[in-house]
This record gives sequence, structure tokens and C-alpha cells, in this order.
Amino acid sequence: MTFKSFLRTLVFVVLTTGIQAPVLAQNTESGVTYEDILNGLSEPSKWLTYSGDYTGQRHSPLTMITPGNVQDLVPIWTFQTGTMTRGRGFETTPLVLDGVLYVTGSNNFAWALDARTGRPFWQYRRNLPDDLTYGSSAPVNRGFGILGDRLFMVTLDAHLLALDRKTGSVLWDIELADYRIGYAATLAPLVINDKVIVGISGGEYPTRGFIDAYDPTSGDRIWRFYTVPSPGEFGSETWPDDPEVMARGGGATWMTGSFDPELNLIYWGTGNPNPDYYGEKREGDNLFTNSILAIEADTGTLRWHYQFTPHDLHDWDSNHVPVLADLVLDGELRKVVMVANRNGFFYMLDRVTGELLVGKPFTDTTWAREIGSDGRPIVLNDGSKGCLPDPWGGTNFMPPSFNPDLEMLFVTAREVCATFVPQEPEIVPGRPSFGGVVWIDRDQGYGALRAIDVKTGERQWEFRYPSATMAGVMTTASGLVFAGDHEGNFMAFEASSGRNLWHYQTGSRIWGAAAMTHVLDGRQHVLIPSGTTLVAFALPVNQP
Amino acid sequence: MVHMLLTCLLLALGILMPLSVSGQGGNPYDADPAARRAGAALFATRCAECHGADARGIGAPDLTLLWAAGTEDERVFRTIQRGVPGSNMPSSSAPDNEIWAIVAYLKGISTVSPFEDNVGDPEQGREIFLSMCARCHRVATQGGSLGPDLSRIARIRSRDRLLRSIREPSASVAVRYRAVTLITQDDRSIRGLIKSEDAFSIQIADTSERLQGYTKSELQEVIYEERSLMPDFGTERLSNTDLDNLLRYLGTLRG
Repeated sequence: MTFKSFLRTLVFVVLTTGIQAPVLAQNTESGVTYEDILNGLSEPSKWLTYSGDYTGQRHSPLTMITPGNVQDLVPIWTFQTGTMTRGRGFETTPLVLDGVLYVTGSNNFAWALDARTGRPFWQYRRNLPDDLTYGSSAPVNRGFGILGDRLFMVTLDAHLLALDRKTGSVLWDIELADYRIGYAATLAPLVINDKVIVGISGGEYPTRGFIDAYDPTSGDRIWRFYTVPSPGEFGSETWPDDPEVMARGGGATWMTGSFDPELNLIYWGTGNPNPDYYGEKREGDNLFTNSILAIEADTGTLRWHYQFTPHDLHDWDSNHVPVLADLVLDGELRKVVMVANRNGFFYMLDRVTGELLVGKPFTDTTWAREIGSDGRPIVLNDGSKGCLPDPWGGTNFMPPSFNPDLEMLFVTAREVCATFVPQEPEIVPGRPSFGGVVWIDRDQGYGALRAIDVKTGERQWEFRYPSATMAGVMTTASGLVFAGDHEGNFMAFEASSGRNLWHYQTGSRIWGAAAMTHVLDGRQHVLIPSGTTLVAFALPVNQP
Repeated sequence: MVHMLLTCLLLALGILMPLSVSGQGGNPYDADPAARRAGAALFATRCAECHGADARGIGAPDLTLLWAAGTEDERVFRTIQRGVPGSNMPSSSAPDNEIWAIVAYLKGISTVSPFEDNVGDPEQGREIFLSMCARCHRVATQGGSLGPDLSRIARIRSRDRLLRSIREPSASVAVRYRAVTLITQDDRSIRGLIKSEDAFSIQIADTSERLQGYTKSELQEVIYEERSLMPDFGTERLSNTDLDNLLRYLGTLRG
């Protein structure tokens, strides 16, 4: 047989057996490598970690959808999850690889979906106990982490699972903490090289927050960092000399952090001290609650910390996605980390040292209007007279987005007044211990998409929503900002001006979710979760 | 926290045992002062946002009138437990003893209806209602739907509150009765109630109760009004005698 006749025979065999090259290519896919995640969104057919890449910028380099054509964007499919979260949202960010979306949902459902059609390959549903604690009040999940052929997902009963991405079957299942005393887990795991990094929910219960690193293959724990120190450790001097108070001091870690591979540092936010509103039995700053932590990835050792709200009395968790960028400040290239905080301030810190570079209000916050030279807020109002950010905050965990070309951070701001009435709680494991009552003036509040000049902290523009909004933001290099609102609109704005260019009514408030985007078959897709649906948008096929 | 406080109180009282009844057989904590304190704490965290810190109603009904209107403990219990379908009132999965504690608290602060020793003639009041109010307010099957349905108003609002709402309706306008005027591109003015709104559109019921939706970009102006659509009924429009008659009639409306 000549080589040509061999090829003809091979083509004949392939055709007659129905084997097609793209299918072979998919079947030989070996999964996600650490390098793939490091490459971030430079390969636009992929979205492999919660924010798209390790910077937390949620900024896509894609430019197919532009301010000039976004008005033609149309929904191309809708996936109905069949599971909903009363009082919260469908908060996930899908991952995408080889035309397959990996999606987690409320109540610990999860799916692999055909990114072309939204049709499911498999569904996973965890059998949850009926005595969930925090997990019953917020039965949400924000997404998978992925490495190799494993998907990593946390659960409402405070476990970490590894699923086979091809089947959805459980490969391993380990307990993070005892859900019965108040723990749960809701975040999207952060996968770095040879570790799966997760945090914990439950700061409204008498719990103690931590950040964990696990072996992706075995599920063995590599390290744990407690966000409230033990007696005698660094930071314990900011608590009463009472081991019991520290052992239930809060500091939950329920939002995915960011990662600087060069510095080998993980950046992670921490939540409120417990009890939330009642602080008389926890005198002091209560480190490391309401802080951002820089943690060495290999060891879990704390490198530096910055506390946004010392001795918090308002449930202003600092569980935000830290946004990393390299910026020229006063002629010097600085590695910075940025946070628009629940306390109403925008912060920029040197991410090598933790030095505060910018700290300015991005809301009408009344509890403080400036940060002192010592890096601490100058507190004006303790909340008993009202009109601070409410407990949901000047913003919240919904992801912001950073456009490095414009050097603007786009954030969903909330302007809602509240009055705090603290009361001493009884501490019972498994029962919430808010420590008081809050009166929220829901009728008068509003929301807004705001653009912040990160070098000055000044507001560049805003687009107002009729009510306070909990939707996240995504930007693209074409100069677009995608955002959502409480009324159910999914919207596109011109990043430079804030001009609204397009909107689509999804039928349910967009709550806790931000858009993601990827390229499939040469066509840019944009996805947003809303209510019980995941909707994919694209330009019509006849568009250039 | 309040949950803890309640648990502590109930434990101290020795009444944290499961109850075999579910909304039947009367309130086991009726008139129990400790249970009422626990119920007050639970009410503050779970109910007061809609019903007001004093339970006299904000957007939701005045709960201090329930017993005066003849409502029984069991019905209040069941309403808390099951919620009110179609309203903002959710169901509750709280244990029976917590719900009974809230019922005991509410019963303790309930007031005798001031309507009972009211002055005025209810028949004349009904005539006034039909001539002056029924265009916008419904009683049973009669009347309009622009304003609140008054069929059960005596169960959920006190005489004093109703009096204020008639004399000065704009002093306090519930969110779902906020008024708006839309100016169209052809200079038409359309006044009505905001039924729904987002950043790009607004849905109203105009003063003829016609439901209409508009895209904001196609309007010249959206004017949000501070005042209620309901005019003030001062003494020049409604004498004190007529007001007494009207209130006496409204006091008979218990559904």
C-alpha cells in the first residue's frame, strides 16, 4: 500500500465509522493545567477561574462585541436550573473549557452544559442534611474551581468536593468544618498550581473563620490559616483575654481571593467579627476580621494584613474579590491591590507591603469620610443615629471589574440608610448571634454603577438604578461594561462615559452574579445568571 | 441574638418542650408575661420591618387591631405559620412555641377598637363613601381599585389612623401608592400610580385604572410626585360630622 492509498483508506475508515476529527480532539483533551489558569483570559475560549484570571479584574481582552454593535446582542439560549434561592441569587460564574460550561447552582446543584445550546451533559445534586445552619439561610454557590479533569466545589454543609468533570461523579469529599455549629461554604475555590484554596461562611454564627489549602489529588489538607488568632499569637492583643471569645470571633472567608504568582501571595478578604452588631464583649480591633490578608501560598503564613473596619459593629464583611494591577504611581511602577469595600470606601494598597495608597469614600457613607494618617478610619457616627451604609454595605461581594487601559474600577454601589440597635446575644452553637436589630430604610435607597478613577479614588461617572442592587460587573477591552440590576436588567455601558448602550430584561433580579465571556466557534458569548436561569448572549451570526 | 434570648427565656420558664398542637387548642402562653417579652423580641427581628416597631402597620396591616376585630389566637398563629399567599407575608418555619410567643405578645398589645364607641351614622357614612370615595376605593364588589381596598379596613387600621389618612393623605404615602406624571413626546400628561419601574421603563395605572407601560427614553419627562393621588379632604370638602359618619361606616368594614 502506498502512502496515498493508506491515507485514502484511513479517510474511508474515518468517514464510514463516523469518527470525526473534532470528536477525537475532544476525547484526547487532558484537562486544565496550572499554566492554563496562569494564562488567564489570553486564550479566549476558556474561563478557568472565578474572576477569569488570578488578578480578580474580571476584564476580558475580547473585542468582538463593541460599543458600536452591542445593541445587536441577542439571547441565543436559556438554561433553566429548576432550583432557586429564596431571598438571594443565582450567584455563580460558569467556567468554560472545550465548549463545555461547568456551572454550580443554588442548593448545591451543578451541571456541565453544552456552551453552544445550553443543553446539559450531566447534573449533580448533593444530598444535604435537613439541619443546615448558615447554609439554609443562604443556599448559594459561586462556582467551580478546575484542575486537570477535576472540578472543585464547596457545599452548604461545609465540605469540599472533587467531581469528575466528564461525569459529575464525586472523586473525593472532605469536611471543612462542622456545619451544625454554624459553618457553611459557598465560594468558588481558587486553584493554584498544586493547591485548592477555600474559605468558609458562617460569620453570623459563633464560628471562627479560616482559609485552607488542599491537595487537588488526594483532598488532604496542606495548611490552614485561622483569621482570628489563638491566645498569644500575633493579633490576639486586639481581643479580650478570653480564649472562648476568640474561638467564636467570626472572620469568615466566603469570597474567592486573588493570587500573585510572582510574589506567591494569596490575597483574601475576611468577614465581620461575631456577634455582628454587639461589640461590648469583644473590645479591641478584633484582628483579622474585616481585613485583607496577604498569605504565602506555600505555607499559609500571613505576610501582611490591612484592616478596613476595626472593631466592626455593622456586619461590613470585607469579603470582596481583591483586584490586582500594576500601575505607575508618581512615576513608579507599583504592584497594587484594590478593594471597593462594604464600608463605603475605595482602597488601594501596595500588594507587596500592605501600605495604604488611596482610601476614599465611593458612597455617601456617614460613618467616616476619611482615613487618618495612621491608616485607620476617622469614625464620625456609630450607627445608632442611622444613615450609614446598611448591613448590606456600600457595595458587597458582587464582583467589581477593572479596565487597566482606562485605569477605572467599575463597582455596584448601594446607598441605603440603616439604624443599628445592638443587644447582647446568648451564644449557642448552631444558632445565629447577630447581636441586635437593624432598621433598614428600603424605600429610600438606590443603587448605581459607578466608575472610580483608581489613582485618585474620585468618581468618574455613575448610572443610577431605582433600587439598591447586588449585581456584579464585567468589562471587556472593547470598552464595554456589563452590569445588572435589582429590577432584572442585564446591561452594557460605554466604559469611558457610562452611557447605557443596551439592556435586556432577564425577568429576575441579578443578585451576586457577574457576567463572564468567551469565544466559541469564532463568536463571542456573554453569559449572566439571573433567578433560576443562565442566559447566553451573542451577536447575530450575520454580524461581522 | 433574639433567637437566643427567646430560647433563654423559654428555657427559664420550662416551656421549651415541643408542643403537640399546631395552631389548635388555644395559646399555651396566653397572658404569660415572659412569653410576651420573648414574642416582642422575635417580633422586632422578624415582623417589625413590615408591620412597624409598634405593630401598628407600615405597608402591612396594623396588628394591634386583630383581637378587637374578632380574630382568634389560632387564626393569627396559622397566618404567621402559613403566610398570606399573594402578599409579601411569607410562611414561617419557626417552632410552634416561638409563633405562640409572638401571638401572646401581639395579643398583649392589642387595643379595643375605638370604632366601638364611635360617633356618627354608618348609613350616612356609606352614602358619603359611595359619592366621594368609591371611585378609587373598593368595598366588597363596589368601587374602584386605584386606592387601597377598604373591605376589611376596620381590622387593619385604627380610627385615628384613618382620620389622618382622609384629612392628610399625603402625610404618609405607602410605596405601592406613589404617584407619577408622565409627559409624552406629544406633550400629553398622564398621571397615575407607579406599579413597577426599572432604569429603562415604567409601568403605571393611570387615574382611569388603565394599566400602561412606557419606555422612559420615549418620554419627555417622568415627574415623581411627593403627594398622594388622593386629595386632602379638609373640612371644606368633608365636614367634621360627615367625617364622623364616614369613619363610623368604615368601622363596620371587617371583611
